[in-house]
Amino acid sequence: MSRNKQTVRPKLAQEGFFGRLSYFSARALANLRQNVFVSIVTVGTITLALLIASLFLLVYVNLEGMVEGWSDKVQVTAYFDREPTPLAVSALKGRVKALPGTAKVVFVTKPEAEIRLRGRLKGQESLLEGITSDVLPASLEISLDRGHRESAAVASYVVALKQIAGITEVQYGEEWVQRFNTFMNFFRLVGGLLGGFLAVAVLFIVSNTIKLTIYARRDELELLGLVGATRFFIKAPFLIEGVLQGALGAVLSLVALTGCYYAFLHNAENFLSVNPAAAGLSFLPVTYLAAVLCGGVLLGFIGSLTSLRRFVNV
Amino acid sequence: MIQLHNVTMSYQAEAPALSDITLKIPKGDFVFLTGQSGAGKSTLLKLLYADLVPARGQVLIDGINLTRMTRSQIPFLRRSIGVVFQDYKLLPNRTVLENVAITLEVLGWGKRDIGKKVHHILKRMGLEDKVNTTPLRLSGGEQQRVALARALVNDPKILIADEPTGNLDDENKEQILSFFKEANIRGTTVVVATHDQRVIVNSHRRVIHLEKGRMLEAPDVQK
Repeated sequence: MSRNKQTVRPKLAQEGFFGRLSYFSARALANLRQNVFVSIVTVGTITLALLIASLFLLVYVNLEGMVEGWSDKVQVTAYFDREPTPLAVSALKGRVKALPGTAKVVFVTKPEAEIRLRGRLKGQESLLEGITSDVLPASLEISLDRGHRESAAVASYVVALKQIAGITEVQYGEEWVQRFNTFMNFFRLVGGLLGGFLAVAVLFIVSNTIKLTIYARRDELELLGLVGATRFFIKAPFLIEGVLQGALGAVLSLVALTGCYYAFLHNAENFLSVNPAAAGLSFLPVTYLAAVLCGGVLLGFIGSLTSLRRFVNV
Repeated sequence: MIQLHNVTMSYQAEAPALSDITLKIPKGDFVFLTGQSGAGKSTLLKLLYADLVPARGQVLIDGINLTRMTRSQIPFLRRSIGVVFQDYKLLPNRTVLENVAITLEVLGWGKRDIGKKVHHILKRMGLEDKVNTTPLRLSGGEQQRVALARALVNDPKILIADEPTGNLDDENKEQILSFFKEANIRGTTVVVATHDQRVIVNSHRRVIHLEKGRMLEAPDVQK
């Protein structure tokens, strides 16, 4: 462009969202710098809110894992009057494995059953006087898939199992399975309610904090409208700012969560005797960490969007 | 350039802020809008940059009827109007340069062009050494000049000012008025609301007088 054209208005070189993305991003970063206190308050609130939520998730996921572990005890035992031949055993095992829901099948012979019984009654051997392995029945011990451990699923599995020729009796601790299922339902309900309340509280706190920070800058929003900015031009930097604050808050909350985990929860078995077999609490799976990060970004974006709707009058 | 036809404006249950105003301001004119506080001067100015919509009547800017504009068209109208607000509306956490640059950023100007244009106008206003200062560190007169620079940097077709000399000493008043005259000479239509009679008398310009929302003298309606 020649110098004598300086008085002519320059062409609009950055039309469209992607063309102006660099401007909006630069403006958002400048806004963060120029409103340090407000930005710190917003990021701090998001960090704390997400830290509380992710701590809840960490505890919930571990408790659920522990309780799910208890369901491994849901086992179906099929008894035989007469011990089947080895050939018949492999045929029976094949038929049982073909039933939907079967995870693992173990054949227990009469002598093995006697050994187990003696092991369980150690110190009270007098009770077993005169008992030989002939008295005890051979059996198939069947473990079920996680998806088939509910009362109704176990009952229908047992019905199918009884159809197999040669099986005379089936036991599965019906009462225990029912109690366990009731407990699981209660646990999930309480977890869901607590998680739901927590999510609502987090949303409420974060969205109101963002609303207040945008309210503090309402003069800027008003002025932009008065000098001819479109709604999109006014909102875009604020939305990017919200996304950046949300992402930063989420990252900080995950850093704090990691710190808390390694400082206090990593070897929780030292002061928690919930599950002595487990080596402390395990950290959140990657999918949950990604969900917390996305949650932070969404919180920042939606919080800004709803607040801007109220304060941008163009 | 500016036409009002039987415009009436009222704020909810209150008495009308403007009653049956009809006036024409030709392109390139310089007009003072005068009257006591509460006479309706600010309301009339707000109608011109579509910050308010009249209850009755029509407002036309450059042939465009503002009462028929959609919300999304308003920003494009405002880009051709420079406004100097009574309270300046400068952003306290941005520098003088950034405050003036807003007008050009909205238009999508490139960073280099904005820098050149803003430095040029700040030099004209005698603020070249205040480029990186924030408004709170400026005097009233300097803040007023920054607000004026922001309104003029875009070379608008119309310049509107609401009590631009209200808080200024005589020297600053003269300076600000000279900038308005300069803009007018360049072809900008200027509308200044003021109740400062000395400013009006010395300027020898057309005066529109408002009293309790009514236009008492309208000698130019027939123009």
